[in-house]
Amino acid sequence: MLEINNQYNLVKRRVQIEVIKEFIQGNLIDDVDKIPYKLIPKESDPSRCCIYKERAMIRYRIMALLGVNIEKDDDEMKPLAAYVKEALAHDAPVQPVLTTITTGCSSCPRDQFIVSDLCRGCFARPCMANCPVDAIDFRQGKAHIDQDRCIRCGKCIEVCPFHSVIHIPVPCEGACPVDAIKKNERGFVEIDYTRCISCGKCAISCPFGAIVERSGLFPVLKLLRSKKNIVALIHPSIDGQFPGTLGQIKTALLHVGFDEVREVSEGAGETAEHMAGEVVQRLHQGSPFTTTNNCSAYMELIERHNPQLEKSRSLVATPMSVLAQKIKSENSQSQTVFIGPCLAKRIEAEKLGTVDGVLTFSELAAMFIAKKIDVREMEETDLGDVTSYEDCREFALSGGQLHCVEKRIASGESIKTMTINGLDKKTVKSLDNWERKAPVSQLIEVMSCEGGCINGPGCVVKPSLALKLRNGKATTPVQSAKKSTKL
Amino acid sequence: MKKKEKIKVKICVGTSCFVQGGADLLLYNDFLDPALIDRCEIEGCSCFDACKQIEDATGKEIKPPFVEINGTIHGSVDAQELASLIRKAVNNA
Repeated sequence: MLEINNQYNLVKRRVQIEVIKEFIQGNLIDDVDKIPYKLIPKESDPSRCCIYKERAMIRYRIMALLGVNIEKDDDEMKPLAAYVKEALAHDAPVQPVLTTITTGCSSCPRDQFIVSDLCRGCFARPCMANCPVDAIDFRQGKAHIDQDRCIRCGKCIEVCPFHSVIHIPVPCEGACPVDAIKKNERGFVEIDYTRCISCGKCAISCPFGAIVERSGLFPVLKLLRSKKNIVALIHPSIDGQFPGTLGQIKTALLHVGFDEVREVSEGAGETAEHMAGEVVQRLHQGSPFTTTNNCSAYMELIERHNPQLEKSRSLVATPMSVLAQKIKSENSQSQTVFIGPCLAKRIEAEKLGTVDGVLTFSELAAMFIAKKIDVREMEETDLGDVTSYEDCREFALSGGQLHCVEKRIASGESIKTMTINGLDKKTVKSLDNWERKAPVSQLIEVMSCEGGCINGPGCVVKPSLALKLRNGKATTPVQSAKKSTKL
Repeated sequence: MKKKEKIKVKICVGTSCFVQGGADLLLYNDFLDPALIDRCEIEGCSCFDACKQIEDATGKEIKPPFVEINGTIHGSVDAQELASLIRKAVNNA
């Protein structure tokens, strides 16, 4: 996975900011076709082959932001303004969540293990001795891997004393936990949507930005423009994504145009309560184990790859669903917008029908900038009585949900727990084995993103920093900041 | 020996800088040489309003994230850039 602080993410943010700015000013249809030229002016120094390709890629990013299925509906002759009109007229279908930009794909060669010049042709030759398929021989005193025989097990890397074997990966394929990424006959990336679980790992792994999510931004922008009562449902991982406290973030959201802000943790309290009861009940009924169900990518995994786990997953309503339901029952006119780090949540939202829009932190960040809202300068808004669900903000971290459920399990019951901290090829394989040999734990938390939701594809800051900010340790110096200098 | 004055470093933590790469600079303890940190007074600070002017002193366009070192504002500062700017400032002090 790519480091979150990279040029691609910065450009992506600039595109988001420009589009939202133009939308707010009401000039989007007139000016959208100028944005690629504005962001990549004539004299700029291209990071791709030329500025024309960079502009083309900006155009595709805008299309992704408009929710266009680029793979299917790319018409190079069609101006962006026409796409904007379509996005404003009706909401695009949610699935597929991810789409590919062939123009950006570098068509990386198949992943391979090769022996570099560092090979000293040693006498022990552990690589040759340990290769399970005899793919290594020695030519002119140096090791050589026969690519047709190699099964990419990586044994040779482990055993070489000189670190001379290197692995050249295909980032998107390597990141995909379910082998949904294929190359077409021309070597460009293609997603097999029957296999894809919309976890978004490929999109944040491609160093060329050739896989993008089809954003849910425009349905939300349209909602915000309507006169309805719009409620923001903020995922607990929002704490740490922006400079400032939860109370300040809440104020900032009210400034963006939301009429009400509610924490998804509120629903999580109820979820944890119900799940605690469910686990004990199932245990008494003799079912071997229960898995959590609030990771939407994991739910997709069950549906598409592991239907045998359907009976083991928890059936309680997820925090988002509980809260959305509650808001709708308080006021049936309210419109709900989930704000989180997750792409797969859009699928869950669509299935539920009670969540009307889904926004990522990354898109929210762009909204703040476009509207010149500085979170740190906001007054604190009272968060209300949070005592019953404050601990459930931990749902954003791997293992957090387990803590919350364990705490709510009646005394006298003892259950063993386990976390699946991040889905990758290996862990997905291990899920297959559960049918034959049930895990010893009775409650298993599954999270698609390593570390939990704070490492989701829609996040703004890296998890290590988000964690520090969440603990209120505003990384030493910043507390003195308020109004310290003005230029 | 006369005690040298500390280099004043201000990292902008306005939302615009924060979400465009500035957040990473707050982890400076992880990438700056402790000897350099000792010579500096590093603090976070609110928006410089540098995002509203698009040119620095030399007339070059600047972009977030911004850092102010001894009164001069620098744009597009990443971890590496911050380290080299501070080293330069320390050497010139």
